[in-house]
Amino acid sequence: MRAFAALALLLGLMQAGPAATQARDTLTIGITQFPSTLHPMIDSMAAKSYVLHMARRPLTTWDKDWKLVCLMCVDLPTFENGGARRVTLPDGREGAEVTFRIHPDAKWGDGRPVTAADAILAWDVGRHPRSGVASGEAYRRILNVEARDAKTVVFTNERVTFSYNDFSQFEFLPDHVERARFEADPETYRRRTAFDTEPGNPALANGPYRVTQVQPGAAIVLEQNPHWHGAKPHFRRIVVRVIENTAALEANLLSGSIDYVAGELGFTLDQALALEKRQAARFDFVYVPSLLYEHIDLNLDLAALKDVRVRRALLHALDREALVRQLFEGKQPVARSFVNPRDASFSPDTPAYAFDLPRAQALLVEAGYDRVVDSVRQNAAGERLSFDFGTTAGNRIRETVQQVLQSQWRRAGIEARIRNEPARVFFGESLRQRRFQMAMYAWFSAPESVPRTTLHSESIPTEANGWAGQNQPGIRNADMDAAIDALERELDPGRRKAIWARVQRIYAEEAWVLPLYYRSDPFAIPKWLAGIEPTGHQYYSTLRVEHWRPR
Amino acid sequence: MNLRLALALAILGPVALAALLAPQIADLVGHDPAAVDLMQRYAPPSAAHPLGTDELGRDVLMRLVFGARVSLAVGLAAALAAAAIGTAIGLVSGYFGGRTDAVLMRVTDAVLSLPVLPVLIVLAAVDPAKLGLPAGDGGGLARIAAIVAAFGWPTVARLVRAATLALRARDFVRAAGALGAGPLRIMAVHILPNCTAPILVATALAVGGTILFESVLSFLGLGIQPPVPSWGNMLTGAQETIWQAPWLALWPGLAILATVASINLVADALQERADPRLTRR
Amino acid sequence: MIRYAGARAFQGLVVLLAASFAIYMLLGLMPGDPVDLMASGNPDITPDDVRRLRELHGLDRPLAARYADWLVALLQGDLGYSRIFNKPVLATVAPYLANTAALMLVAFALALAVGLPLGLAAASRRGGFLDGAINGFAFLSAATPTFWLALLLIVVFAVVLGWLPASALPPPGEDGLAARAAGLILPVATLATVSAGEYARHMRAAASEALAQDWVRTARAKGASEFRVLSGHVLRNALVPVATVAALGFGSLFSGALVTETVFAYPGMGKLIYDAIMGSDFNLALACLLAASTLVIVANFAADMVYAVLDPRIGFGGAR
Repeated sequence: MRAFAALALLLGLMQAGPAATQARDTLTIGITQFPSTLHPMIDSMAAKSYVLHMARRPLTTWDKDWKLVCLMCVDLPTFENGGARRVTLPDGREGAEVTFRIHPDAKWGDGRPVTAADAILAWDVGRHPRSGVASGEAYRRILNVEARDAKTVVFTNERVTFSYNDFSQFEFLPDHVERARFEADPETYRRRTAFDTEPGNPALANGPYRVTQVQPGAAIVLEQNPHWHGAKPHFRRIVVRVIENTAALEANLLSGSIDYVAGELGFTLDQALALEKRQAARFDFVYVPSLLYEHIDLNLDLAALKDVRVRRALLHALDREALVRQLFEGKQPVARSFVNPRDASFSPDTPAYAFDLPRAQALLVEAGYDRVVDSVRQNAAGERLSFDFGTTAGNRIRETVQQVLQSQWRRAGIEARIRNEPARVFFGESLRQRRFQMAMYAWFSAPESVPRTTLHSESIPTEANGWAGQNQPGIRNADMDAAIDALERELDPGRRKAIWARVQRIYAEEAWVLPLYYRSDPFAIPKWLAGIEPTGHQYYSTLRVEHWRPR
Repeated sequence: MNLRLALALAILGPVALAALLAPQIADLVGHDPAAVDLMQRYAPPSAAHPLGTDELGRDVLMRLVFGARVSLAVGLAAALAAAAIGTAIGLVSGYFGGRTDAVLMRVTDAVLSLPVLPVLIVLAAVDPAKLGLPAGDGGGLARIAAIVAAFGWPTVARLVRAATLALRARDFVRAAGALGAGPLRIMAVHILPNCTAPILVATALAVGGTILFESVLSFLGLGIQPPVPSWGNMLTGAQETIWQAPWLALWPGLAILATVASINLVADALQERADPRLTRR
Repeated sequence: MIRYAGARAFQGLVVLLAASFAIYMLLGLMPGDPVDLMASGNPDITPDDVRRLRELHGLDRPLAARYADWLVALLQGDLGYSRIFNKPVLATVAPYLANTAALMLVAFALALAVGLPLGLAAASRRGGFLDGAINGFAFLSAATPTFWLALLLIVVFAVVLGWLPASALPPPGEDGLAARAAGLILPVATLATVSAGEYARHMRAAASEALAQDWVRTARAKGASEFRVLSGHVLRNALVPVATVAALGFGSLFSGALVTETVFAYPGMGKLIYDAIMGSDFNLALACLLAASTLVIVANFAADMVYAVLDPRIGFGGAR
């Protein structure tokens, strides 16, 4: 009984109701994942990019209109304006020399200027084989980084590609803080880096905010960086709270302990659609199709799937428009290929597969599957049109979609046996070692990213090559290979578009992969908050956090 | 028969019946639990769908009924497996005593001191193919049952061992030994039948526990895989839309609550009958 | 006594060793390794990167060799580095362990504080309405799925009524003692409810047995008040089996906390273990699992000690 009395007393002492947001100088953002490390280059994590891009800016980025713009540089170097030029490398190949001028007012949070030395350190760390940096190859493709003066950096790329001036993944590392730590022992640098040992060090930030406090597993606090050279942000303080359970996340939003749930890393689409029906007065809902391309890989080693008629029939038997309309209220657009409609390289002439059950059935009959036994089609040899259909377990929306697709295929006499596995099994073994029949998942690709690892015949994972490459279906098409090689070398925009159109047409006609839809990020923006601009790709809205303010 | 027991059986009866007759019930009512109906998503309770529909338009009541089938099957299978293993070990340990007993009891202690849920997660995430076992089919029921049983047997083993120790000293057992009966015969014919009471109680208690474990595993996405319905995995998706369709979260949870509580009540009643010391004269 | 404690300690160590080996092997049997997980989410990682990273993290060596290395390091007091957090395991685990410890201790204390008196009350009025009500509560609470109860509590108290915060840890800057306490109320209530019922049931059974003894009748006949009877020898005798259950329950609170921590966004050991297992962070996962196992072993040992102390009829070696 005494316990209850104490509880009542405690309740009485507390202020009832959600915290009133009076001065609105603090913004509390909710996300669903905690970045385990705050070093920008080690391990890539969406949550880390989201949070860090409030405190750090890369050299360039893609804006919400999908154009490449400068962030830490003065202007974008191109071949046309002389900022980039072709050079002949010592071994005779042609490389690209790209010169960036760092913004003259760019400074670290402790007042020291951002200089070329910081770029050189990033390059040193990135290309070191034992530094633990995840995407080291990208750094190794840069042959040399030179400081022409304190604020001018010259990069020499090992080859001329169309993305010669895209340095959106390139982040500066503060030389005056990290150089010594790195050189002391590169192999253990990732454990001694100030980003994780002293996250509150102001010298680690060069953006509008800097990290001041980290509560492991729970929250990251950022405050204004007085040395930021861009537009002054409104909010004095931003608290990022991590709540992995999306139901609890919604509860926190509704009770007022969170102001805004990050669209990129927050609610599921189902949740947002449900929330919109009840809370349209408090929030504006924006659904932005992202670069996440949800699709089904078909294993081309299977006899039935080798036949293009069967593959086309699989597509024609699906009513993807209805699925998107009914499950997602139309907010996730049906896909025709892996190229997003907002991408400049999208070709509207790409063949689309309308829902056409009679056509699907005709194709199957033509392919020899003309008899139906127990509502599953068979061919003369008695082979049934029955496939294992797998995706990552525990993902509600995917499981829902699977069940819809399963029932749609059943009408055409195709049996899809649902076999889901936890993500690590799915990606780590089944997909990687090509032990699947139909696999549904999503890729996340950058604008204009050339599909070498996914569609080129060299990129088929085999035991011999250690299961490297992401061409899981096993696509071997000479036309496609040629197009991919050409894409990497062609710089003329007009000719590139033509090659891209060809790539998309082959992709659609062959139907090696069944395109489903593009996932959308739901943004539930409180009506009092202005300035949030969803981008739809992996360079998140926080790259413009200094423009967020109350109306 | 007192009120509590009556209530428990009143709950368990229909649940068990529903589980056994699920397909027949589906035919009778005319709802296929796997029928996806996208026009009827999240429908509130109505005449056609007494408990409403879920995110795919499937009838919730039907899924509860089929979920009962799955959850009870897994729970029972796991409990029986645990009982079988535990009985065997308890018998051997209690009868032979000495080093065998010491070793077996240490193993029992070892299993008991592992933190259950984390190890369950590891076991559920392990790829059976690497061990040469066939991959799970139809939602992985057998695998889940096996994993959950692996944690249930120590309690049974302890109980059976205690009973065996007590029985071993009894005259009729010694007589059987003197007449030349081998250990296996003595254990099977003389000791085991007299242990039925504790075994029954332990099994009954285990069923409740295994149902709860299965629901947690399924909730975490590591247990029974959809579209096979189980009460646990019905709760997983219901979380996100808990305000739009709260009944989706309410009913599976209540089903688990009612069933497990009833099973425990029955187990308790069995224990009272087996051990009348506790009832007031 | 010392010898007994020594023997138990030795057995405990053997159990821990065996458990660590088994778990290391099981973790190795999990498909995919951390590098694959990294690569699947990042299209920029090339096959060369994968090879390099795998070798850097030592993932290309045989499992048994890696276990041996880990064991040797452990014996020298080095728990290793967490791959996910890029920090020493001890530094990573410390804040999470502190959080869980706070949660578990308060929940345990509350469960005992509520469950034991209820059990006593039920036993002393056996067959009455109170007994039935308490018994009913006990059965219901022990059968409640924790995550379901947690969600219900959040919906009712945080969203509908707005009395309590929906997540357990207040953000830095607002984490005064009152705020922290408020945040813990719901998760503690969730955990304690489920345990309290169990303790109440066991207390009721044990107390009933004690109350049926002759000397109770004698004491009552001599005019002792009900309160004296209950709080005197009944309690002492009833505590024996209850202590066992409580000690075992303390260990299992660890597991129960995992789901509660997830729903309440409370960064504790349960969540850490889950992430470590799913992320194949061997060092971290093993350290956490061993910590949990040690806790359970110590709790069992404590239970046996209490058992022996409270009931002098039972010698060391315990009645099992």
